[in-house]
Amino acid sequence: MVQLVGPLRKELADSVSSCRVLVVGAGGIGCELLKNLVLTGFRNIEVIDLDTIDVSNLNRQFLFQKKHVGKSKAQVAKESVVQFCPKANITAYHDSIMNPDYSVEFFRNFALVMNALDNRAARNHVNRMCLAADIPLIESGTAGYLGQVTIIKKGLTECYECQPKPTQKTFPGCTIRNTPSEPIHCIVWAKYLFNQLFGEEDADQEVSPDTADPEAAWDPSEAAARATASEQDGDIKRVSTKDWARSTGYDPVKLFNKVHYTNSLFKDDIMYLLTMDKLWRKRKAPLPLEWSELQKQEEMLGGGLKDQHVLGVYGYSQLFSESVKTLSSQLAERGAGAELVWDKDDPPAMDFVTAAANLRMHVFSMNMKSRFDIKSMAGNIIPAIATTNAVIAGLIVLEALKVLSGDLDQCCTIFLNKQPNPKKKLLVPCALDPPNLNCYVCASKPEVTVRLNVSSTMIQTLQDKILKERFGMVAPDVQIEDGKGTILISSEEGETEGNNSKFLSDFGIRNGSRLQADDFLQDYTLLVNVLHSDELGKDMEFEVVGDAPDKAPTPSTQEEGKNITNGNKDSAQPSTSSTVPTDQDDVLIVDSDEEPSSSSDCGALKRKLLDAETGEAPAKRQRLSQQQHADNEDDDDLIALD
Amino acid sequence: MVEKEDAIISEEEAAQYDRQIRLWGLDAQKRLRGSRVLLVGLGGLGAEVAKNLILAGVKGLTLLDHELVTEESCRAQFLIPVDALGQNRAQASLERAQFLNPMVEVEADTDKAEDKPDDFFLKFNAVCLTHCSRDFMVRVDQLCAPKNIKVFCGDVFGYHGYMFADLGQEHQYVEEKPKVVKQSEDANDGPEAKKPKVDPNETTMVKKTASFCSLKEALEVDWMGGKAKTNFKNIPVGYFLLQVLLKFRTDKGRDPQPDSYTEDSGLLLQMREDVLEAMGVSIDLLPPNFVSYCFSEMSPVCAVVGGVLGQEIVKLARACRMGTRRRRRPKQPGPS
Repeated sequence: MVQLVGPLRKELADSVSSCRVLVVGAGGIGCELLKNLVLTGFRNIEVIDLDTIDVSNLNRQFLFQKKHVGKSKAQVAKESVVQFCPKANITAYHDSIMNPDYSVEFFRNFALVMNALDNRAARNHVNRMCLAADIPLIESGTAGYLGQVTIIKKGLTECYECQPKPTQKTFPGCTIRNTPSEPIHCIVWAKYLFNQLFGEEDADQEVSPDTADPEAAWDPSEAAARATASEQDGDIKRVSTKDWARSTGYDPVKLFNKVHYTNSLFKDDIMYLLTMDKLWRKRKAPLPLEWSELQKQEEMLGGGLKDQHVLGVYGYSQLFSESVKTLSSQLAERGAGAELVWDKDDPPAMDFVTAAANLRMHVFSMNMKSRFDIKSMAGNIIPAIATTNAVIAGLIVLEALKVLSGDLDQCCTIFLNKQPNPKKKLLVPCALDPPNLNCYVCASKPEVTVRLNVSSTMIQTLQDKILKERFGMVAPDVQIEDGKGTILISSEEGETEGNNSKFLSDFGIRNGSRLQADDFLQDYTLLVNVLHSDELGKDMEFEVVGDAPDKAPTPSTQEEGKNITNGNKDSAQPSTSSTVPTDQDDVLIVDSDEEPSSSSDCGALKRKLLDAETGEAPAKRQRLSQQQHADNEDDDDLIALD
Repeated sequence: MVEKEDAIISEEEAAQYDRQIRLWGLDAQKRLRGSRVLLVGLGGLGAEVAKNLILAGVKGLTLLDHELVTEESCRAQFLIPVDALGQNRAQASLERAQFLNPMVEVEADTDKAEDKPDDFFLKFNAVCLTHCSRDFMVRVDQLCAPKNIKVFCGDVFGYHGYMFADLGQEHQYVEEKPKVVKQSEDANDGPEAKKPKVDPNETTMVKKTASFCSLKEALEVDWMGGKAKTNFKNIPVGYFLLQVLLKFRTDKGRDPQPDSYTEDSGLLLQMREDVLEAMGVSIDLLPPNFVSYCFSEMSPVCAVVGGVLGQEIVKLARACRMGTRRRRRPKQPGPS
């Protein structure tokens, strides 16, 4: 006789109420998910989120109200849920899931883990932890109207990293520094400028004219001469400007000296670029801005959002000065050696990028853009609404019930489209794929081959750019497979710091060497085959053999439900209470216009896309990811290759 | 009718609605801000729809429900406080609903929907009916649709759910179509300036009109006619399930309840035979195991149906872009 407890059959209702589950993330999907879980009868839930609440979350993260802005998402989510379900036993962690406290043993406590994340680094990490603990993982993501849910179970399905994911679009250094042709180039330039002046100096984020631009040279010897010259002068402008800025002690008045400084960037530097005449043979040449000639114009404001207005050149030059003044005093207040971190929600920082990017766009004859639009691009903002998250979170619980009932064979990947497909389906299920036998994460003995230059690649780069960023390790230990087990990198602080600036070749590593990289927290061992090459592409420090070539992510506005990029996150900026919350959810989006006639066809139709997460780029430029800090959906630098 | 508001978006709204303005644009947000919606029924599905509409930022939402809070309703819904047993459901949901977004005018009405006079419904831009009887839904649909009031219906029965939309006989909307760019045939004029890239998203807006069938027509499809027969494969089980459950609701004045599972499931099976026979279709179109999956309201199903329903209402409140052309979209997540 069937016994029901509410809508559920008794056996299922009993396992639901007794099992323990983990929810990673308390943002857009997380809030909806927690609500669904407790209303379905789940009683033992742990939720973790390192972020705090921002006003822009309130259009969808319904467990939060305005009075909660600034508080811990996990904590407030728990409190709100307990209000309508006091019986729920919820543990909230205001922490990063990548903290070593959350070991494989921690994960083993749960019957099921559900991700409600918005960045690839954390997804990679949870993927590995769940593989190591052999716990089913329900992965999901949303962007705008689109969403997706899938199951990851060791040995049964693909893991999150079985298929390579495209890396974030990056731009060559000379495009950023010399020949921008799109607003995004100017925006990236402006963010670099911010860092050069106020933030962490990065050799990969030069803003001055690139004299070594191969396109500028009329003949090879000239290029070589220019390159040498620029090395000798230490990249001329930039060093001198930064040093100059430093030498004034970031004195707001001196920094504010428009005649010297602003003209420098938008006049002198531009005039320098003009001397590289070959660049302008087939392109429209930039027009230098003379400060004193900028005329104040009447600006038509009209209705609508203030941020959506586009000012004139004069307006942006004023905005530039004002923001420089504000930022340099912020910097001065913090004392010697301080650095500002760019944050799209910090008004002067956003003003600065808006102004600098627009001035540059104007110089290069592009139509200027509003602060609203620039914020979207600079901050990698993914539009988000409540209903998409609500649907996806509902689907997550439905899949969870199948998992708990032991019906994994009924689980599938489900795509939420913007419009019904030709077969009138808005929700399209797809069969789960079996694991990729060559996956560098879940294969039994994962191996990869990396092409790099052993004489010019530093141990630090191996650790940060390759193992951490590219291969998602959090705390790698590396030894050489040389019979002696020579240790290159130790995850213990201080043990191998001395090796960081040495080159791989210093340790005898050469073509064909094999390195064993372990991340003990993730219970993950990766064998790295080294392929030496003297001729990597410009701006490339390393290349993973067998990777799909970098694909530009399509713009995040949905194009017929195709490739949605999401993403961001990753990188640099540590989470502070004012930092943007991780409210955007990554999504693995597949072009699923057609419902497959049989579920197996879905595989053939799938074109996995996805999240254009930064961090994957073989870019030098990528800031060291403090992977403890989940990234906020935006904040982060667009990665450009230099 | 509803007054036309000159909507100026405040900085506060801009900050709160930022992420959705970036999706559907400022104009759409302004139109939302001018719309008033009636929501009938504050069960599991109703609460989801309420949440979605309030978060989106409609002008006003009226919660209409005469039912009282029971233990079951507390369990099924996240707006009602646990100590509200015996209170009116709409009233009990009001406070939490308002907290979702203080900028929306949320009000509770404790009357029975069936007792409301016609002109009550005409005050809204859109009405959404949940937990309503078949006859009442048909009445409201016939009343409102011709007056350009968008009518939505939806319910969740256990693991199953459906939604219905009637946007009228002449629903005008605008569809975004990619622009077809003709290749220029001019010869190059020698070295030319490199143009800034053309926005790859260039599209044109095409005006369209769609005609929706009424609820009555949708529920009274003649399956015995020749044309209808060929479409059986494409009709989800949910349609027939809906017919049975609406009959149950009409006859018993309530939905099947877990407490009376034995009695109710017996009734449902009987009704299945009666209804399908009356429709002239094979009883196999609705396998009998449906009885164990149609009781109460599954929260995740409410979330899915409520999400889609909510988004449709939000779309309509702000002038349709990719308007849905379909008349009905039964949802059937869960075991089939």
